[in-house]
Amino acid sequence: MDVSGLLLADSRFPGGGHVHSGGLEEAAARKLVTGEADLASFLVGRLRTAGELAAVFAAAATSAVQRGKTHWLELDAELDARTPSPAQRKASRAQGRGTARAGQRAWPSPVLDRLLADTPRPHHPVILGALTALAGGEPQDAALAVCYLAVSGPASAAIRLLGLDPFGVNAVLARLAPELRDVAATAAKTADHDPRDLPAPGAPGLDLLAEAHDRHHREEVRLFVS
Amino acid sequence: MKAQARLVVERDQDGRNVVRDLRSMAPITLVPHRSRVRSANEPALVHLVSSVTAPLGGDDLELVVEVGEGAHLVLRGVAATLALPGHLPGGSRARVRIEVASNAGVQYVPEPTVVTARAHHEAELVVELAAGALLRTREVLVLGRAGERPGSLTSAVRVRRDGGPLLNQSLRIGAPELDGSAAHLAGRRVLGTEVLCWGEDPVEPFSHDWWSLVPLARGGSLATSLAGDAVTAQTWLDAALDVHPGWRSRVV
Repeated sequence: MDVSGLLLADSRFPGGGHVHSGGLEEAAARKLVTGEADLASFLVGRLRTAGELAAVFAAAATSAVQRGKTHWLELDAELDARTPSPAQRKASRAQGRGTARAGQRAWPSPVLDRLLADTPRPHHPVILGALTALAGGEPQDAALAVCYLAVSGPASAAIRLLGLDPFGVNAVLARLAPELRDVAATAAKTADHDPRDLPAPGAPGLDLLAEAHDRHHREEVRLFVS
Repeated sequence: MKAQARLVVERDQDGRNVVRDLRSMAPITLVPHRSRVRSANEPALVHLVSSVTAPLGGDDLELVVEVGEGAHLVLRGVAATLALPGHLPGGSRARVRIEVASNAGVQYVPEPTVVTARAHHEAELVVELAAGALLRTREVLVLGRAGERPGSLTSAVRVRRDGGPLLNQSLRIGAPELDGSAAHLAGRRVLGTEVLCWGEDPVEPFSHDWWSLVPLARGGSLATSLAGDAVTAQTWLDAALDVHPGWRSRVV
């Protein structure tokens, strides 16, 4: 993996990802996830749906920069159409904005300026994919970074929310390694496809959890934004 | 079995919705409703009947529907679809393509699809809406008959309006690690979804624990329910319809 992927997938990358639990807080509040076994199942489901979708768009954005394409509005519209939940769109754009801010300092470029002129609040996978290319990485690096973020955020949220053993949760993540590689490699294969033909895996459970979380977040105190 | 069926509905000079072209091909049988004289503005009603047990493994079925300018069509299923395994390899495919012209509308409401054990089915619905066209479509997917493990199903829904994408979702059913995951189907046996591009969209999402109605990013809305049985899943979709501003104030 290229160092660009390490930087962008680091939990200390200042993109604002730490305030999102990826639906885990709502799942924990409803006791759908109570221990390591449920957490593993939740993470596999998340990786193979929302994680795969993010990987597909991150890889496509890296490839767009590499090929000199500027179809940012089209990628933005196609990812919107694959994200029916308003709460999830909001979470993606909030993290996208934070990532863009950090990226402007780390990898300033006219390519980035153009992307942000077209989409001032970009979706997280798209901006992360573009930054990966600017930092010298490949589509698969971007795909692997967002796949890892799709499970590492909820995993660390589970430690805080459920008081799970950090060593046990880390082992759960480690066991996901083959699936992470597999999803990222598959996503990289469609990186140069027309945006309208990109895969569109849906996740009804995550959509419902995100909307319910958003409602509860407004009504009561929650630790995470999503 | 390979089959291609076609249905064209137009609005005539007197404002009546008439079926202009109707080509059934087994197993897809289209039955227009002619029991009474239709008045102007009443949508054309056509029933979708499966005349042979389908889809079976190896089947490739396609239905093309065109709704002309100003016309309205209601296309309804009459019985649940059972996706079954067949003796041919490669699974079964069913594609529905619907084109809706400006000021026209379509309601496509098939009955639930039950994914039986060892079935391998791909369903695809592609809808192209002109600006100002209306759409309502409901899909209810049931994971196996009672006490049965489901086969595998991929169901893709793509809706575009005026050339731009409104919704693109592909749902995978029948992979145990996904069916049981709280992130995907949460161990629930029935998934209901309903796309509504029907006048005024909801401004804010409506959400309950296991169903929601949400506005899509670029127009239209989607209702989703996850339930233990098909009756509950559909009751929740009905509840979502009841709070949809455009649907509640519909005139046709």
